Amino acid sequence: MSRVIRFQFRKGQELRFLSHLDLIRTLERAVRRGRLPIAFSEGFSPRPKMSFGSALAVGIMSEAEYADFEFTERIEPNEFMTTFNSVLPTGLEVIKAVLLPPKSPSLMTEINAAEYKLVAHDTDAAGLVSRIKSLQTADSFVVERKTKKGIRLVDLRPLLYEVEHPQEIGSETAIRCRCAVGSSGNLRPNELCIMLGMDPFTTKIVRTALLIKEDGSYQDPFDRIEGHNAT
Amino acid sequence: MDQRLLPLLPQVSKPARYTNNEINAVHKEWDHIQVKIAFAFPDIYEVGMGHLGYKILYSIVNGRDDSLAERVYAPWVDLEAKMRELKIPLTTLESGRELKEFDLVGFTLQYELSYSNILNMLDLSGIPLLSRDRTDQHPFIMAGGPCAFNVEPLADFLDFVVLGDGEEIIHEIVELAKEGRVKGLSREEQLASFGKLPGVYVPSYYKAHYNANGTFHKLEPVKQGAPEIVYKRVVADLDKAEFPEKFVVPYIDVVHDRVMVEVFRGCTRGCRFCQAGMIYRPVRERKLTTLKKQIRTLVEATGYDEISLTSLSSGDYTCIEPLISDVIEEYKDLGVAVSLPSLRLDSFSPALAEEIQRSRKTGLTFAPEAGTQRLRDVINKNVSEDDLYEVVKGAFQAGWYSVKLYFMIGLPTETEEDLDGIVELAQNVLEIGRKHGTGARRPEVTISVSSFVPKPHTPFQWEGQDSMETLRAKQNYLRDRLRQRGMRFTYPRVEESFLEAVFAKGDRRLGPVLARAVELGCRFDGWSDHFQYQLWMKAFADCNVDPHWYANRAVALDETLSWEHLSPGVSRRFLLQERDAALGGRTTPDCRFDVCSGCNVCPQLKVANCLSEEGARV
Repeated sequence: MSRVIRFQFRKGQELRFLSHLDLIRTLERAVRRGRLPIAFSEGFSPRPKMSFGSALAVGIMSEAEYADFEFTERIEPNEFMTTFNSVLPTGLEVIKAVLLPPKSPSLMTEINAAEYKLVAHDTDAAGLVSRIKSLQTADSFVVERKTKKGIRLVDLRPLLYEVEHPQEIGSETAIRCRCAVGSSGNLRPNELCIMLGMDPFTTKIVRTALLIKEDGSYQDPFDRIEGHNAT
Repeated sequence: MDQRLLPLLPQVSKPARYTNNEINAVHKEWDHIQVKIAFAFPDIYEVGMGHLGYKILYSIVNGRDDSLAERVYAPWVDLEAKMRELKIPLTTLESGRELKEFDLVGFTLQYELSYSNILNMLDLSGIPLLSRDRTDQHPFIMAGGPCAFNVEPLADFLDFVVLGDGEEIIHEIVELAKEGRVKGLSREEQLASFGKLPGVYVPSYYKAHYNANGTFHKLEPVKQGAPEIVYKRVVADLDKAEFPEKFVVPYIDVVHDRVMVEVFRGCTRGCRFCQAGMIYRPVRERKLTTLKKQIRTLVEATGYDEISLTSLSSGDYTCIEPLISDVIEEYKDLGVAVSLPSLRLDSFSPALAEEIQRSRKTGLTFAPEAGTQRLRDVINKNVSEDDLYEVVKGAFQAGWYSVKLYFMIGLPTETEEDLDGIVELAQNVLEIGRKHGTGARRPEVTISVSSFVPKPHTPFQWEGQDSMETLRAKQNYLRDRLRQRGMRFTYPRVEESFLEAVFAKGDRRLGPVLARAVELGCRFDGWSDHFQYQLWMKAFADCNVDPHWYANRAVALDETLSWEHLSPGVSRRFLLQERDAALGGRTTPDCRFDVCSGCNVCPQLKVANCLSEEGARV
């Protein structure tokens, strides 16, 4: 009998400047406000058993963040959603929750791709299209990355999987992209902007999906749960 | 928040400081409210959000139907630069409105080195810095907090100042502001109405006079009815005082980010260097049942995982052991920990250690303050070396591995022997850790040494601070001797302690210096990276004021002090008597548990020490 709930949540405009640690702290406190019976790790300093998908960069909104919470007793996903949403601040909202079957792989180990929607104002749409074309045919796109060990050269091209044709809605231009996320290759949203020649400060960036890419096809973290009982 | 800041936020550090919408933040219908107060904290969000006094006032003002309170903090230097470049004024978090739109702006005076931020925040708000330049279009700039007891360096900038506890007087201020609005009072008339409240000091109602030799002569009331002495306000029964049922819960990491309850206010231990111990008298405890109820309400409303039992010395609370064990029992399955920020050595029992240990291990800090018994007697810090050793032994045995010890250098009568005493104490504590530690980790002792700053309304108010050269030599002396395995030595820069002393003992002649320093770019003086000593010295030189005269000069006992009109109720006679006892090495017992020491607070302010009944000691 599963006591773990996997859920998808939204991080909106209001809270987009929260760091991953801020977000975890916020969720922990909401759990306590909602008196949800979260399980704690054993040992010297017990921590609530909460695990997450991929950390979201500061300033980015998301429609599809994921977390697994383990409780001390079985909780119905619907009940969890109602209770948790009632104690979450504006800007955070659970949109789907399921019971996670035992022995399911963790979000962190599975998720390896992300989809972003980039929205820019008054941009040169034609220029953008040709930019995308040349990106798609390019073999590499090397940039400098600042790491703890100093500056390193990274080829971003293999990390970018798909770019949709830009859509124009009024004065706005939106592009959807899929790219690598996680420990075995990670394309940062601001780098995505740079690749597409968009301004990382003014472009509105929304993560629209976290995915598991396998043999060229994509699944979301719910699809992976066999016979899942989504609510 | 102010939407104009939004495009700037991706380009500054910690943007979530400025975005508001925290759980329990209060947003009221602006147009329906009669009295609007902006509580301004002269430091960044992360510091200000940890301040209990503001939580109390925010809750009281927002608890009324006729008033609202909003928060505003100093923007960090990166955002400030952008705001100035784009001419965006300072705004409150909740409604994003300019400070000018409020009826009152309240600053807290926690620390002398935050004064430059007050002026800078006014300037960022487009409010005239000088009280006399403000008109009907401007809010009243009020202030309170510990530094109100010598607010003279800020006299030119503040419209009125509140001395003492704020819980009751804030209601009176709101009432008067409301009444003034109905009656259509002029700024002058409105100020006069605030000025009649007991506990309110209006600096512009007085003129300072100085002697030819530069010493202070007197403060002359120039407004009819202005009292010769303003006495502080005291909440006589703290148990009945209002306390928030909700705290605004920040998203980002801030100081003291936890549930805080105030177990008692005031402290009568009588440490002679300690201003808080003099200005917050008498001791007023809350009842055990009240505190447990407050904790329960706050944990539910915030979801915090830590409860802090605050006061000036929480181990002295008469019901501390039942309080801690009850709270730990109640929350043990919810991962909620209990912390005691201020513990005295002699109030830390093994049973207490055991209790806190059950919950979670945080660092342990003790403050022997001085290295020898002789000097501890001088400062009336009535703890012995044996107390310390007994306590740290218990702590190491209970599983702690890291102990922090606070000391001061530059205390009156200090000699080299006292410095050696610090080294010896530190070594002995480390030795005890090695002998009694549970072995999980190597024991660590952090020795934190600050420089003594003589403060008004203490028995040491007449003292001069050691020169910076002397303090630096003492720091070096200690550093050379504390360079040992397992020891860490930390100390603030002497320049900061020096400036703190200048403003602590300062008078109205420092106003122009402060304004000049801010003009030159001084701000965030409490942040070592931003403290610009050279600019400060330039400001003093430009205004022809000698800072050393304020900080380092011993004031003669027959001089009039420039802060004696701002009274916490402690008599000059008592302070002199304590000064004598200090120099004679005689200690004074705590009047809570022993005879009255004659400080005069109780008869003067018609109050008394008030201990919780459940645990009253015989």
